[in-house]
Amino acid sequence: MSDYLFIQSQDPFTEIRAGHQYRLAQQLREAGHGVTVLLVQNGVVPARQEAQSPPFDSLLKTGVKVLADGFSLRQREIGEKQLKAGIAVCDMGAAIDAMLAGHKVIWH
Amino acid sequence: MSETKTLTFAFMDPPFEHERTVTFFRLLDTALDRGANVRVFAYEGAVTLSFARQQPHGNAVHGRDTDEEAHPLTREWIASLQNKASSRGLQFEWINCGLCVDERGVNEVIEGCGRGGPPDLWRYATTGFNTLTIGTR
Amino acid sequence: MKTLQVIDQAFRATTEEQDDPILWLTRSMCGAGATLMLLLSGHAVQYATLSQRQPFLRLGQWQQTQPADIPGDMTNLLDSGVPVYVVREDLVERGLGETPLHLGVTTIARDELPGLYEQADQIWQW
Repeated sequence: MSDYLFIQSQDPFTEIRAGHQYRLAQQLREAGHGVTVLLVQNGVVPARQEAQSPPFDSLLKTGVKVLADGFSLRQREIGEKQLKAGIAVCDMGAAIDAMLAGHKVIWH
Repeated sequence: MSETKTLTFAFMDPPFEHERTVTFFRLLDTALDRGANVRVFAYEGAVTLSFARQQPHGNAVHGRDTDEEAHPLTREWIASLQNKASSRGLQFEWINCGLCVDERGVNEVIEGCGRGGPPDLWRYATTGFNTLTIGTR
Repeated sequence: MKTLQVIDQAFRATTEEQDDPILWLTRSMCGAGATLMLLLSGHAVQYATLSQRQPFLRLGQWQQTQPADIPGDMTNLLDSGVPVYVVREDLVERGLGETPLHLGVTTIARDELPGLYEQADQIWQW
């Protein structure tokens, strides 16, 4: 089994492919692989509690670990307590640690 | 003692056009923080990141002169990361795709940035530990 | 090391560069001995259906003489031994489900992508 980390810069409000990307992460998880999605840039926007994105909400229910880049959140003034449940705040260290652990790190 | 790992990054964006550029540099900075050697293959617009003739400017709308504005320049970011790597005994290599440099006329690059091509990306990737490619949109 | 190149976009720079920059990069790395696979997804699935050179651009007196030859580039890649996959659902949603594909291209369903991703040591998304 492999480990994957997707650096998710695309968001579902402007990029319809984001939904497919979330689904790919879910499929890899369902296949038994370790999967993390690190939201960066506008990719953090659906993480706000009041944001309306069924594809993103579906991702949160699948056992995929979802992280949100603190810098991107601060830019958009999304506080940690304003995030949907199950999302942890991190920094680029999460991506670099994954690379150093030999995970497949993919930019979306 | 564990061996230092080398991470390869391929990037395509020029400065001043997209958030991806900032995230990319944050990744390079963090890689050095984590004790990794860093190799960059700059492709297409990214070859302008190391252009030596980037100049700061003032900003009348901000009400600041050149010194006050202290406008970010990616060539300074690269130099800063080169210095950081050096101070930590790490390697920081940067190759621009030569054809991409030629067509953009940005042949003057800062010290420490070289010229190459796709075989260098493959060489970096196969001799390094892991690779991340960030495409443009 | 086997790498899967994933191309999700199309026609972004094909006129100015007279090729797709990632197809070109892939072909160039093959020449250096790289072991690569190619996945066309999103708008890039269109590359698997093209049969002609790109149109010539004309601006004022300037006339392009060497527009991109995507079908030719695809043939070169396949002849170099690069397996090329195209996402079936992305073809269908673009109305290309019944369009003949470039010889040698293999269709793959979205649900089969995890299996393809597992075949590669690294995934390079562009």
